[in-house]
Amino acid sequence: MLLAHQMALESPWIEAESIEAMEFPDLSERFNVSGVPQTTINDGAATVVGAVPEEYLLAEIRRVMGKPK
Amino acid sequence: MATKLLNENIAQQVRDFFDQLQEPVQVLFFGKKEGCDYCADTLQLIEEVVSLSDKLELSVNDLDLDADLARRYNVDKAPALVLAGRDGDQIFDFGVRYAGIPAGHEFSSLIHDLVLVSGRDSGLSQPTRGFLKGLTSPVRLQVFVTPT
Repeated sequence: MLLAHQMALESPWIEAESIEAMEFPDLSERFNVSGVPQTTINDGAATVVGAVPEEYLLAEIRRVMGKPK
Repeated sequence: MATKLLNENIAQQVRDFFDQLQEPVQVLFFGKKEGCDYCADTLQLIEEVVSLSDKLELSVNDLDLDADLARRYNVDKAPALVLAGRDGDQIFDFGVRYAGIPAGHEFSSLIHDLVLVSGRDSGLSQPTRGFLKGLTSPVRLQVFVTPT
């Protein structure tokens, strides 16, 4: 099961899409996907490479959400 | 009938795992007619998976022909799967989506996600839940994966 999907289930504000990188090369290129899994937050506001612990992904979301718009 | 993608051994393992399913899950498949290399295989795969439990239901949609529905679920790729909750006629969108065929390692994710969505409990730690409860604007997570 996917951490991002757990977060989506927890919050109505979160949408999490698992994307098969090779089937969508344009998108993978756009977000410079080099290793998997790679998690992109809000269309590139932050990128997390690798399977990271819950706290780490949360910290990145927190950082993105704290940014002034 | 075409050859099955899941052999009986795998099917039985998944069936056993699906003993943990609780609430009904609605899976929405989105395909498209042209230029979709993996639509047919993804549809066959999810049909086989959904057939392994009566708590799982599948609707088959087309990205172009069912554009309104696709928009409602923010689906812009094919093949795509949405794992939603179902209660009678009501569908609950939790924001859980797949783009591309969930094969290899992703197959395991899919099976676990179905049970997760069915349980309607994220299993996340209390601090994480606490922070996520405080969100007031959308967060979009896109996780790039490969089958192996």
